[in-house]
Amino acid sequence: MGTAVTAGALGWGPYVLAVGLVGLGLFVLVDDDNLVKKVVGLNLFQTGIYLFYVAGAFRVGGRSPLTVDPGGGPYVNPLPHVLVLTAIVVGVSVTALAAALVVRIHDEQGTVRASELRSAGVGDRE
Amino acid sequence: MIDVLVLTLLVLLAVSAIAVAAFRDPLAAVLAFGTYSLGMAMLWAVFRAIDVALTEAAVGAGVTTALFLVVVFRTTAVRASGFRSVGTVRARSAAVLAVVVGALLWTLPALPAVGDPGAPGFQRVAPEYVDRAPALGVDNVVTAILVAFRGFDTFGEVVVVFAAAVAVLVVFDREVVR
Amino acid sequence: MSGDRQDDVAGTGVVLSGIDSPVVTATVRLVTPFVLTFGLFTAFHGTSSVGGGFQGGVVVAASIVLVLFSFGLDRTLRWLDTTAMTVLAVGGVLVFAGVAVAAIGFGGPYLDLSAYPVPKAVVYGVELIELGIGATVATAIVAMVVEVGRWGRR
Repeated sequence: MGTAVTAGALGWGPYVLAVGLVGLGLFVLVDDDNLVKKVVGLNLFQTGIYLFYVAGAFRVGGRSPLTVDPGGGPYVNPLPHVLVLTAIVVGVSVTALAAALVVRIHDEQGTVRASELRSAGVGDRE
Repeated sequence: MIDVLVLTLLVLLAVSAIAVAAFRDPLAAVLAFGTYSLGMAMLWAVFRAIDVALTEAAVGAGVTTALFLVVVFRTTAVRASGFRSVGTVRARSAAVLAVVVGALLWTLPALPAVGDPGAPGFQRVAPEYVDRAPALGVDNVVTAILVAFRGFDTFGEVVVVFAAAVAVLVVFDREVVR
Repeated sequence: MSGDRQDDVAGTGVVLSGIDSPVVTATVRLVTPFVLTFGLFTAFHGTSSVGGGFQGGVVVAASIVLVLFSFGLDRTLRWLDTTAMTVLAVGGVLVFAGVAVAAIGFGGPYLDLSAYPVPKAVVYGVELIELGIGATVATAIVAMVVEVGRWGRR
């Protein structure tokens, strides 16, 4: 790993992929008919944002943020790692709650298709 | 060398994410999501974020995929196959995708390149944490930030996980896990 | 629907009644103690190497979810002590809150671990809090997966 930073795959590539994942996750969340796939799209969206943070924390020639060895060189930025760590665990809580809701909706309404739920009047105001 | 590795992982992630979106069967989409999560964990390990990579490997490829499998097997009996056709995409969703991706891509050139050591993120707070953590006796800087420097947020997060478990019990009209 | 097999709602009958393959069950039976030990090791060593509460907790949770998938809901719930899980979940939060609030009693501000009159107070405080975090995260995630998997069975 050299110290010169090039605008190649390691330049803005991870950011572009993160943006693509955010857009794709939002698209699946909005467009797909199956409730389960909507939750999967939500997870795509979340991991795209995590990628953005982790890619922003990286520095060329950096070491992981463990100061066990003395005389350590430049470290990658540990602060976004902390944010992403918390976000991952909160994300799995949200996903589990969403999964519980989907299972309950299926057992009450008999379907997990958003179009069928909409035409059955689920969620309309009384 | 690392550029080739990162490029390969980026391509793997892009392909598996598109597969997740394109499969019509939710089971196939969940399995593609497992691959995607594992690839994401590998990419983060290459980016030297090992705590995060360990957590994502256990959570994304482990717990979340298992949870999705449970939900899929409970809710879908009829197996679809193949990919979604482009004609089933609604105009609103495509507009959302275009607007979000376009707006975010427009802001990208203002960011420093990935790996740039002169990025503003490395200037003030991060070096101070990296210097203070071993002085406290904690060698893992991420743990030191999580508990010693920013413990307030971590406490809130632990309570959120606990509250989510309680909320799942409420969704199922149960009072205890027995 | 009380007499039927509730987990066969979708007609597949695979999930949560376990997988009948002896290869899978033998492998899981062999691998699980090591994975659980690794998860505890990771959770305990948050201060000196990679690890900490979240990392170790989710590894333990993933291992138990693997057992749930291979052996089925009934056998796993006979093995898991759900009362102990509840105690651990609540206890983890209380340990964190206790260590944080008790720092006030020793004169420092909230969550100032160096206020304790113990040598290397910050390291011990961090490790105690990490254990609490790991306990809560692991048991809460397992509880959520168990509850989603068992809905509908009476």
